[in-house]
Amino acid sequence: MMNSMNDLLEELKKLFGNFEVQEIDEREVKIDVESDKVVGILTTLKSKGYSHLSLLTCVDWINENKFELIYILYSWQNGCKFIVATWIERKNPKFVTVMNLWPVARFYEREIHEFFGVEFEGNDDMKPLILELWDDIPPLRKDFDPLEYSKKKFPGRQYDKDVIQEALIFRGDKNG
Amino acid sequence: MGEVKLFFGPNHPGMHGNFSVHLYVEGDTVVKAKPLPGFLHRGFEKLMERRTWFQNVALIPRICVPEPDINEVCYSMAIEKIAKIDVPERAQWIRMIVLELARIANHLWSFAGIGGPLGLYTGPFWGVADRDRILDIFEQLTGARIYHMYIIPGGVRKEMPSKIQDMISQTLDYIESRLPDYENLILRNRIVQTRLKGIALLDRESALTMGVTGIGLRATGVPYDLRKVDPYLYYNYVDFEVPTATEGDAYSRIKLKYLEIKQSIRIIRQVLEKMPEGPINTKFSDGNALRYRVPKGYAYVHVEATRGEYGYFVVSNGEDKPYRVTVRGASYPQGLYGIEKYLPGTRIEDVPIWLDTMGVCAPEIDR
Amino acid sequence: MEKSFFAPVKAWKFLFEKPVTIKVPKEKRKASERYRGFHINDWDKCIGCGTCSKVCPTDAIQMVEVPVLEKKFGEKPQRPSIDYGRCSFCAMCVDICTTGSLQMTREYVHLSSQPEAFIFVPTEKGIKNVENVEIGWIKDEDSELLELERVEMEMIEAEERVKSFIEYVKGYSKEQAIHEAARCVECGICTDRCPEHMDIPEYIKSIWLDDLEEGLRWLYKTNPLSSVCGRVCTHRCEEVCAISNRGEAVAIRWLKRYIVDNVPSEDYMKILNFNPKPKEERIAIVGSGPAGLSAAYFLATMGYKVDIFESLAKPGGVMRYGIPRYRLPDEALDKDIALIQALGVRIFTNTTIGKDIKLEELKEKYDAIFVSTGFTLGRSTGVPGTDHPKVVQALPLLKDIRDYLRGEAPKPEIPETLVVIGGGNVAMDVARSVARLQKMEYGKVNVKLACLERNFEEMPADMEEIIEGKEEGVEFYPGWGPIRIMIEKDEIKGVEFQKCLEVFDSDGKFNPKFDANNKMILQGDMVVEAIGQAPDYSYLPEEIKSKLQFIRGRILTNEYRQTDIPWLFAGGDIVNGPDIIHGVADGYWAARGIDDYLSSKERS
Repeated sequence: MMNSMNDLLEELKKLFGNFEVQEIDEREVKIDVESDKVVGILTTLKSKGYSHLSLLTCVDWINENKFELIYILYSWQNGCKFIVATWIERKNPKFVTVMNLWPVARFYEREIHEFFGVEFEGNDDMKPLILELWDDIPPLRKDFDPLEYSKKKFPGRQYDKDVIQEALIFRGDKNG
Repeated sequence: MGEVKLFFGPNHPGMHGNFSVHLYVEGDTVVKAKPLPGFLHRGFEKLMERRTWFQNVALIPRICVPEPDINEVCYSMAIEKIAKIDVPERAQWIRMIVLELARIANHLWSFAGIGGPLGLYTGPFWGVADRDRILDIFEQLTGARIYHMYIIPGGVRKEMPSKIQDMISQTLDYIESRLPDYENLILRNRIVQTRLKGIALLDRESALTMGVTGIGLRATGVPYDLRKVDPYLYYNYVDFEVPTATEGDAYSRIKLKYLEIKQSIRIIRQVLEKMPEGPINTKFSDGNALRYRVPKGYAYVHVEATRGEYGYFVVSNGEDKPYRVTVRGASYPQGLYGIEKYLPGTRIEDVPIWLDTMGVCAPEIDR
Repeated sequence: MEKSFFAPVKAWKFLFEKPVTIKVPKEKRKASERYRGFHINDWDKCIGCGTCSKVCPTDAIQMVEVPVLEKKFGEKPQRPSIDYGRCSFCAMCVDICTTGSLQMTREYVHLSSQPEAFIFVPTEKGIKNVENVEIGWIKDEDSELLELERVEMEMIEAEERVKSFIEYVKGYSKEQAIHEAARCVECGICTDRCPEHMDIPEYIKSIWLDDLEEGLRWLYKTNPLSSVCGRVCTHRCEEVCAISNRGEAVAIRWLKRYIVDNVPSEDYMKILNFNPKPKEERIAIVGSGPAGLSAAYFLATMGYKVDIFESLAKPGGVMRYGIPRYRLPDEALDKDIALIQALGVRIFTNTTIGKDIKLEELKEKYDAIFVSTGFTLGRSTGVPGTDHPKVVQALPLLKDIRDYLRGEAPKPEIPETLVVIGGGNVAMDVARSVARLQKMEYGKVNVKLACLERNFEEMPADMEEIIEGKEEGVEFYPGWGPIRIMIEKDEIKGVEFQKCLEVFDSDGKFNPKFDANNKMILQGDMVVEAIGQAPDYSYLPEEIKSKLQFIRGRILTNEYRQTDIPWLFAGGDIVNGPDIIHGVADGYWAARGIDDYLSSKERS
């Protein structure tokens, strides 16, 4: 881990208490923080140069009954990234918006709402973004089975061509 | 005159890809714009969770049609990062060739793309024809023209065929010889200049706030390029410049694309010279491809695509399939937030120019 | 850049240039040398393993039964059909193909307005019936998606292992086993080949998922002697393993051993969770070899009361008294037998049927009888001198050695120099066992092995046995037939051989031909004959014997191992042979047969 990242982590820990740190490589660190500290930590990181929100996404840990929200912050100054993660309840998932920090987050949050069902308080636009006339549970949840859905929705197709017969004729095992 | 709602796209000559914008216009001035993505949603992220690590190699290039290789590189590098695999040197150099060729091809194509909204139809013909020369290289190198499925976790699939180096050099020479033609046809063209200069403006502050990356950002004077700031592969072993402009308009963005082609040619020539002999891949897991596994872990990998930062966030829980993959389409900020924020006030005919020069790519937004 | 009115006009210079496009379909373009076009499949190479269809990311490949294909071991009568409406032209099927039969062509175009016209079963002529179609993408070493090399099994070095009877195959560690299991492609061709049709892909997958309890359940579904078979099975499965077409077969036997070695025996009953409904009928089993134990296990899990009668002091038959300890330690066998006993099976040792209890008496007490008495009598070459007391048979010698090692018998006489006659696994067992005793007693090995078969490939013994025996100092003389035992002053001096030119005649019958002018003498002060065994039917009363049919010394049964006498079932060497796993299979089918017989009897 780069020294500057380490220093920043120490500072964050002083401000927000301890949290779990996982070093992914020299310039990438994942931190797992408590939900109520996320906005504070993100704000601090943003002010320290990690101002670019590369990605906001969500992981469904169905066995743990949790969602993991992921904020990836990138610094153009030193090329380092912080993956800030927080776990929220899978039932009635709610979190706060960060669109005041990064306006584009509005769309990421809209998408997460659509695909996982997480509500973001403070984000007034929670209309579906990608899907049209969706009639099932949010589809990126682990308990959604796309194959089943597609079988239910779309008719299968039956082919009548006798492929073996054709192959045998090609091979000369049979006369056409 | 009252406000009129105009459905711009998904079928519109100026719209590339199945993307739609709902424009509220007064006269020909846009009052409000709502991006409407989703026409190309194929559920890639879900599909990836249901295929094995290796099977996904066939799936991911399809997320981005003009530049599929960035998907393969990001996906592979993310796996290599989680599994802590050292990729053979030669493979990394080959990857650089592929990436830079793809960049040239994509920029050529976007010369074609700008022809649509401008009514300059020689551009499309030239752009597509010259891009085909690069696709010929891809066909020789990878076995396919568009979806190469060549870069795999651990390296690349096959050694470069003999004589491909000559072919690449010749093609680069040819493309280089064509650049003055493009300069004459597009960049020095009086109509193009009049039409594009000062249009689709984006200032530096807004670009940074919005999270715009790539050419859209560099056209405002910010020299951020991931190949320089966060060098992956062997980009720190080759000399190249990051062209920037300060105008922040459509014309400067087109010009940067043109200048980037030159840099890419320069990079590939160095790569051909510098790349060592040696193995071209290593296994990232035990066993056969049906049973490859990646240890538990998270990784985010991004590369500089033609449209900016293109990234893959990969989560593995140690099984034979990815637990979660998120794709960060480079055009997400400018294609969604940007449209909403910056199109109002412009004129209808400038809308496709924003979409084209900012590089709004529908499939990577929809996924 | 300078704005210019005339700059674009320069494009006019292309006015008289030739177009860069080509006129399709008049002009044809050649695809690149590694283009991924359509498929061709060499049907003679293809084994129908279906790995292509498993790796296909788009589900474009389905395996289709081909009724005209001949059914044989190592193949499935099916070939891949490809739906080009789904195919993504990734060539993963080519890169993973176990035989290399799939390749792709350099064809660009296939056009049709009919959806039906996009499904093909590719042949050697591709999908378009073209002779010598140009080949594009093929597999090479770099694009290989299989792992062709086996995880090496650690063994004690020859110099070290020949000093004792310690089991020299160490067994896989967890990492090694999971790695080896990851090489399997789950084709199931092994299952078809296994006489007992064990669920091999399933238990290998359990190892890969590190779920040994599940693996154990798969093993015991079909094989109660997994601990034994995991060590000494003749592994027919590995001979047909799809991976072995181009690489080394998956180490199925060692993987099986890994499961049984790594689940504590005290947990077996809990994991396997037998819950049979007790039945009233009683079944007697004669002989506690592989077939007998197997039948007992399956009958007991069905709820029957089973008693086994064994004439020797310990149960296990050939597993206890034949196979040497360095390959199969007593503990491994005891583990399997303990489980069978835990199911309520009673084993009466030192009880010889026909002597201590008559078969007729047994019939009175039991509802059905399963006989699996094995091949216990040695065969002799019959050459002059074989009646000398120091010309011995393999099986009694092996038994003496094992009893000695268990501390249940005195040390057998260890010859300083030994000549073994025979080229099968039993001959190997003798040679390698005596080599160990010699090393322990005299510090050096002097064992010579001669057989009719002219080379190692022809010899019926497993190649690894030959190689390992060689490493341990056994000298091999293939291609020699004995003429006489050389005896001087009542002492054995050696054996005289003549060159064997041919073992089998053109009809494939055993009919050796010799060159009487080409002779050789191997010196030795003891000779072991290990040229095969024969059954001993003396326990069968004449009345019963007369009702049975015998074919070349073996009892004829139906597929449920039922003899012509309905209550008498038979299995093992006296029915099928030649190895343990066939015995286990016999036990399994006999158990089903006995169950059928008894249930139908009940009904009638």
